[in-house]
Order: sequence, then structure tokens, then C-alpha cells
Amino acid sequence: MRKVAIVGGGATKCGKREATWRELVQEAGKAMFDNVDNISPKDVEALLVGAAQPERFTFQVHVAPMVAEHLGITPTKVIATTELMCASGQAAIRYAWACVASGIADVAVALGVEKMYMPNMAEAQTNMTCVLDREWDGVNAMSAPPFFAMTAQRHMYEFGTTKEQMALVSVKNHHYSTMNPIAQFQKEVTVEKVLQSLMIAPPLSLFDCSGITDGAAGVFIVPAEDAKKYTDTPMYIVGSGQANIGNAINNLASISEWVPLKLAVKEALRTAKISVNDIDIAELHDCFTISEIMEYEAFGWCEKGKGGEFIEDGEPYIGGKVAVNPRGGLLGCGHPLGATAILQSIDILHQFRGEVPRGRYVKDAETAVTHNLSGAANVHSLLVYSRG
Amino acid sequence: MGNVEFEKIKRPENIKLPYMLDFYPLEDEKNTRISQFFKSLREGRLTTTKCKECGNLLWPPRIVCSGCLSDKLEWVDLGVEGELYAFTEMKAGPPLGFAQDVPFCIGMVKIGSLLISARIDDARYENLKIGERVKLKIVELEDGRVFYRFRRIN
Ligand SMILES: CC(C)(COP(=O)(O)OP(=O)(O)OC[C@H]1O[C@@H](n2cnc3c(N)ncnc32)[C@H](O)[C@@H]1OP(=O)(O)O)[C@@H](O)C(=O)NCCC(=O)NCCS
Ligand SMILES: [Zn+2]
Repeated sequence: MRKVAIVGGGATKCGKREATWRELVQEAGKAMFDNVDNISPKDVEALLVGAAQPERFTFQVHVAPMVAEHLGITPTKVIATTELMCASGQAAIRYAWACVASGIADVAVALGVEKMYMPNMAEAQTNMTCVLDREWDGVNAMSAPPFFAMTAQRHMYEFGTTKEQMALVSVKNHHYSTMNPIAQFQKEVTVEKVLQSLMIAPPLSLFDCSGITDGAAGVFIVPAEDAKKYTDTPMYIVGSGQANIGNAINNLASISEWVPLKLAVKEALRTAKISVNDIDIAELHDCFTISEIMEYEAFGWCEKGKGGEFIEDGEPYIGGKVAVNPRGGLLGCGHPLGATAILQSIDILHQFRGEVPRGRYVKDAETAVTHNLSGAANVHSLLVYSRG
Repeated sequence: MGNVEFEKIKRPENIKLPYMLDFYPLEDEKNTRISQFFKSLREGRLTTTKCKECGNLLWPPRIVCSGCLSDKLEWVDLGVEGELYAFTEMKAGPPLGFAQDVPFCIGMVKIGSLLISARIDDARYENLKIGERVKLKIVELEDGRVFYRFRRIN
């Protein structure tokens, strides 16, 4: 296996965009090629497109060739779309990484995209309701907010977590996203504001939820030995972990503890040959405030059930035990499904290069992880990045 | 602009909800090998499949055991009551076809070793409690298909 590097990337502004799916792809593609001087579309041998539901949100399948066409890419080794719902973008990075690590391709692109705003938002919500087992869970209108609401309810019931503690996650991530010009939401929120925001599915209110988002982003993945040909400041993929247990609600390992995340963390740390305390930045999948709290616990930064106290103590802020979501998270930046993991990785690259605003800069960071969960939190995907 | 033709064209105003935008499963023998599940529901019985080889109770119902890959399964009754394990209420963001019901409760119902997700009828979020007993209820769609829900006992 060859060591692999990310040498650059580009992204669109995220949010409610007055642009079509293919226009988002063109914006991100241009930004990506503009970011690296000596890679042209004709150099790209492998193209992996992370897209969760183009067939529902834009009524288009076979989308990877469409991306290739619009960017002038003519892949000669590998081309495919990768779908793993909220982790579709990470799936694209992982396959691009595997292509390059194995020697199949020397220049790969992982580009993620989602166009989620639709003229009728109930249609968008319909799309989000076939993610869990559609015939047995989705049929009960079990989209993400009700599922994670019940997760939060169980966590509150079993461990005494409070709505105020959950709101603190939203406060932190919205704070960091005010310093991210491509974020969907760029306004501070307070605990009171979160608690008073529109109730979506109790105990979760609007600001406990990530939004519906349009956005796209792409990165270049090459062998580490070639990285310096493209940039003085590459970052390296040094570890990975991914685990899945069950799918339908009945077949999950647990509702209030994410067992597959614990497994994925263990594997990611093992492959990266680091301990959890070596992680300087963690871009975690805060699709809902409760998610981030459960992630503190599963990574082992605090004891099981103590995730609420961990944020009360300020530990996941820059300067605390570990900087969690200094990008602004999904809560602040939005969650354009297929693009999210790529946006996370580009922000880590910017962190390592010192190209982020001061207020959210993690100084001297050497090691970072990005995490995405998908479905009923039954799949967890992790990548470990290193500056050197 | 010369003689370029402009014509208003007509399309049907209403289209029957396509089956694949309809959340309810197709239930009859022509479409599924677990149609027995829905036949039993029609009789007021909630059932599922159990593996005759390894004894695994499988939910949702299957034709192959995910524990041992045996295809020797039998139908067993789950009874008509369960215990509320978790619940919430859909207050905003309903999918197509659900807006007229908002707000409505959704829960996870514990029946023996199973955790079954379902609509909880006749209830508001404020009044429900974890651990509360709930009872099976059957709903029938306009086209005759049936599905299960639960409701409060008191
Ligand atoms: C929660 C949800 C149902 C709300 O949908 P909605 O009722 O249609 O609300 P809107 O999107 O219209 O948002 C209402 C307002 O709040 C704002 N808003 C929404 N989420 C916000 C957030 N996290 N932070 C700040 N503002 C937010 C919107 O910009 C909008 O403001 P405006 O009225 O000034 O335009 C929807 O955002 C949703 O489904 N989120 C979850 C997405 C999801 O499931 N992702 C997968 C996760 S695993
Ligand atoms: Zn068996």
C-alpha cells in the first residue's frame, strides 16, 4: 500500500443556493482546479463522486459521468458514484484513497455534491425518510429528526443529559461558523435562543438540527511520494476506521451508545498508530446536538454518559481537551450530504496550512480526524489526517 | 420574431401517488414472500418470523435467517401489547402525505426482545411516558393495504 496525500481542493458556498445540482458541481470543480496549479482535468485518472440522493433531489442517476463531462475529466482508471447517505463524501474519499494506495491511479478526485432545496420542501423531507428501513421505519415518518430525538430522549433518561447541555453544542458550533465564509449559518446563537427555537421533534428544536443544504466540494488525492510536485503543504491520510452494525431500528447494537463508532475509533487509532490524546482537531458529525455529545463519549474523551458535562466544562473548544468542529460543524455550516466529508477535509487542510481565521485556528495542529455517521447511526466512518 | 410558434401544453393536474413515493410496503403474494404478515395483521395479529434452526426471532420478518442463513422459518405471534421504549412527536418537516396528521407521535415499542418503531396514536408528547404500556392498532389504507400502529391503553 502506498501512503496517500490530499494536495488541494475547492468548495462552493453552502446554504440555500440559487443554483442547480450541475452548477454546484461546476463551481466546486473550478474552485478545486484553481486551487492546484499543475493538475489539469486530463490528468485525473480516477473520479469518485459522493452523492447521497441525486436520483431523488434532482431526478438524475449515473451522475459521475455527468460530473466528468462538466469538468472536462476523462477518467481512464476508475469512475463511480459512492452512496453512503450522510457519509457519501467520505465514501468517495475512501475509494479514491484506495485507488491511489493500491497503485491503480496516480491522480484521483473525490468530489461530493448535494442539491437539497426543492420547490416543495415536503418532497425533500420524503427523500430523507427513506434512509432508515423505508418499509418498516420510514413508513412511520421516521426521518432523521425523530430518530435522533428518541436517541436524545434515551440519553437524557439514562444519563441525565439536559437540553441545556445539548444547546451548548449548538452555541459552540454556530460560534465557529461565524468565522467560516462558506457556512450556511453565520450568526451566533445562545442557549436561550436554542431552547426557544421552533420545536421540531421534542426534545430537539430547530437549532439542535443541522439544516437542509446545497453545496459541493472536491479534493485531489495522490501518492505521498508525488505530493510535493503539487504543493509545499500536503496533508496525509494516515489512518481509517469504518464499522457497521445493523440497519433497521430493531437491529442496532444500542440506541444510547454508538457501538460501531467505538469500533471505528479503535481501528482508526490503531491504523494511525496514535492514541486518542494525539488528536488535535476532530471534525465530528454533529447532524444533531445529541450526536456530538455521544461522540465525545465514544471517542473516550470522557466517560460514557458524561458528554453533557464535557461541553459544560468547555473541553471541546479550541484550547480545551480537543478542538471539536472548529469549522462550525454541520450545525453551523449546513449538511449537503455528499459534500460534507469533503468540506471537513478541506477545512483540515486549511487548518494545517494556517489559512483559517484566527478565532477558529488550532495552532500547531499535527493530527486531525474527520467523522461521519450515516443512517440510524449504524455506520460510522473515520479518517485520520496528519500534517507531516 | 418571425413565425415562431408558441403553444400552451396540458399535463394531467393530478397524478395518483406513485407506489415508490408511498411509504407503505406492497403486501400481496404477487409482490412479496411475507404477505402472511399482512394477512395476520388483517386478523388483528402482529406476527414475525422465527428461525427453526437457531431460534432467532427476526424483525422485520424475513425469508432467510440473518443469524444462521437457514430458510426454515416459522410465523410466531408477538401479542398485542408492548412497552414504550422511546417516543417523540413530529411537529415540523413532515414528508409528503403526512402533513394532515401533524403533530403526531412516533415511538419505539419494546415487545420481548424486539424494538419496533411505530406511530403512537391518541397521544400527545407531553402525556406519554417511557415504560408506558401501549396496544396494537391496525390502520387500513384506501386501497385495502393494512399497517400496524400502537395507541395508549389509558
Ligand atoms: C429541522 C428541519 C425539519 C427544519 O426545516 P424547516 O421547518 O423547513 O425549516 P427551514 O429550513 O425553513 O428553517 C427555518 C429558518 O431557520 C433557519 N435555520 C434552520 N436551521 C438552522 C440552524 N441549524 N442554525 C441556524 N438557523 C437555522 C433557516 O435558515 C430558516 O431561516 P429563514 O426563515 O430566515 O430562512 C430541517 O432543517 C431538517 O430536516 N433538518 C435535518 C436535515 C437532516 O436530516 N440531515 C441528515 C442528518 S443525519
Ligand atoms: Zn437461524
